[in-house]
Amino acid sequence: MRSASDPASLRAARWGLLAVAAALVFTFPVLAPNAYILSAGVVVANYAVLATSWNFMGGFTGYISLGHAAYFGLGAYGTGLLVTKADVPSFLALVLSGAIVAVLAVPIGIAALRVRGASFVIVSIALVLILLLVFQSWSSFTGGSNGLNVPRPFPDLLRPEHHLVFYYLFAGLLCLALLTWWAVDRSRFGMGLKAIREDEDKAQSLGVPTFLYKLVAFVVSATFTALGGGLYALWFGDLDPIFQFSILVGSYMVLMALLGGIRNLFGPLVGAVIVGSALEYFKLEFGDTQFHLVAAGLLLALVVLFMPDGVLPFIGDQLRRLGPGQSSIREVSAGELLEQNASRGDLPGQGDGVEGRAAPAPSEVTR
Amino acid sequence: MSAGQLSAEAVAGRAVEPGLQATGLTKSYGGVCAVNDASVTFHHGRVNALIGPNGSGKTTFFNCATGMIRPDSGQVTYRGRDITRWAPHRVAAAGIGRSFQLCRVFPRMTVLENVLVAARARSLRTLLGGAYDRELVDRARGWLARVGLDHVEALEARNLSYGQQKLLELAGVLMADPETILLDEPAGGVNPALIGRIGTLVRELNAEGKTFLIVEHNMEMVMSLSDHVVVFDRGRPIAEGPPWSVQADPRVLEAYLGV
Ligand SMILES: Nc1ncnc2c1ncn2[C@@H]1O[C@H](COP(=O)(O)OP(=O)(O)O)[C@@H](O)[C@H]1O
Ligand SMILES: [Mg+2]
Repeated sequence: MRSASDPASLRAARWGLLAVAAALVFTFPVLAPNAYILSAGVVVANYAVLATSWNFMGGFTGYISLGHAAYFGLGAYGTGLLVTKADVPSFLALVLSGAIVAVLAVPIGIAALRVRGASFVIVSIALVLILLLVFQSWSSFTGGSNGLNVPRPFPDLLRPEHHLVFYYLFAGLLCLALLTWWAVDRSRFGMGLKAIREDEDKAQSLGVPTFLYKLVAFVVSATFTALGGGLYALWFGDLDPIFQFSILVGSYMVLMALLGGIRNLFGPLVGAVIVGSALEYFKLEFGDTQFHLVAAGLLLALVVLFMPDGVLPFIGDQLRRLGPGQSSIREVSAGELLEQNASRGDLPGQGDGVEGRAAPAPSEVTR
Repeated sequence: MSAGQLSAEAVAGRAVEPGLQATGLTKSYGGVCAVNDASVTFHHGRVNALIGPNGSGKTTFFNCATGMIRPDSGQVTYRGRDITRWAPHRVAAAGIGRSFQLCRVFPRMTVLENVLVAARARSLRTLLGGAYDRELVDRARGWLARVGLDHVEALEARNLSYGQQKLLELAGVLMADPETILLDEPAGGVNPALIGRIGTLVRELNAEGKTFLIVEHNMEMVMSLSDHVVVFDRGRPIAEGPPWSVQADPRVLEAYLGV
């Protein structure tokens, strides 16, 4: 699915869509009718940062962390504590706490990345639960369940202006994360990471130092997540361990990334917009019930059943199918292959492996 | 290696340089001793074959030699260098490439990407540089053309037939530019036309200087390709030598027929 092999018109359409989407994102605060909607926009932008950060690990290496809230919480508390206890200027505190989490992520990664699959998921959950307990019980330092108040970086701003500024700060951080993901995606390093996702032992036998690669991806992922958390602390101004270190926040990151598509640069962003808006809507309509949880669960089930690759690849496939005179890349190539096989005649019986696969069945993934 | 075999090599007028070498290599699973105190030397620059009945420990030997599993005891050296218990990527960097018995490709990556993955990055700059740089892509396409898969480079690897996946795996191994290549049953589950192509490739590449160590059940292929054959039974070598002498060895017949 390289863009280079896409038809030119599709590429143009993609750039057009990107421009429109970017314009929408940057004019949203002007279009937002009131401060409430604007603050919902900030929440969604925050989720987009978190899901994109998560995708450095989940998307590239296929290691599913359900405990990424650990770095969200550490980034938030790091920033909050530096501001309140050490009088560090707000944004310096943000950068410092990002650096601290990056350093912490090295030993954590070395320990956690020794295991794969379900074991890694369990380890990631264990970490966030431990941090939750620590930050709750060490209340003399963290404020415990009473919360930690973080002074605002711009005390003179009114509420809507505060939201406005932070909306753009989150958007800026999101751009940085997306740009980094894009750069990794097209690098040899990224190619190695994707090979790890597909078959880690095979990648290592081809010479990819898999452990080091995973560790770097993990640290980058944790650091961006921490920056998202730090910015949240400065924006929201009130931290509670129950929320900062919750399995739920970590699960939202996973859900958003899976929903949008973890192989796509913009997948987690799209997922965050869909899930984040839905969550905010449910909160507005039904108050603080558990209804949004049920909805999130249903959404996840639907995605897994009908769009296992996520929304973006699904839409891409539909577009290619509908496009006038454009069959899918795969169909063209498969057709060509058959033709060439037939004309060469040197691969008897080899065409059968390709013919039925123009529209891949989900079962093939398990091959 | 016995003196008799050495002199046979001397008669053929070719000096033997040791390549991959194992001494007292042992690996057991529970009660099963998959590789049992195996000492064996494969010849550098040649096409070596490792044969033996199913379950005789050939794959386990490969895995111990390439760092995929840790042997319980014993030593593995490559051209005199101790590589015992090295991680697989270090073994690869030392110049040993391998394929897998149940062919392994990256199913959701394209055929071209499957080969590009194996390009070695020697510095941080190349590591962060583009994976699709002209020079790399040209080299990858060269290997794809060599194995006859250049016309399907944009397909995802899972869309290839099993035989094509085997060729793709070989192209990936070659992209890493190893001097020694271990193939685990390259002809297994592959149709006769592709077996012929794989055989030709091995011969050509060996002429270009690559060393091979091939596990194979297809005796026709083994006999026509290899310079040196090692026979495994119950986890250790029971016979070795040039193909014609091994073929006639009663111990080999016994191992295969289970007499
Ligand atoms: N992962 C494993 N766990 C348990 N037993 C194994 C494992 N791998 C191989 N064995 C056993 O070790 C023996 C040698 O297997 P293998 O190396 O695959 O032989 P070959 O490749 O010569 O057919 C067999 O008896 C097999 O059952
Ligand atoms: Mg085997």
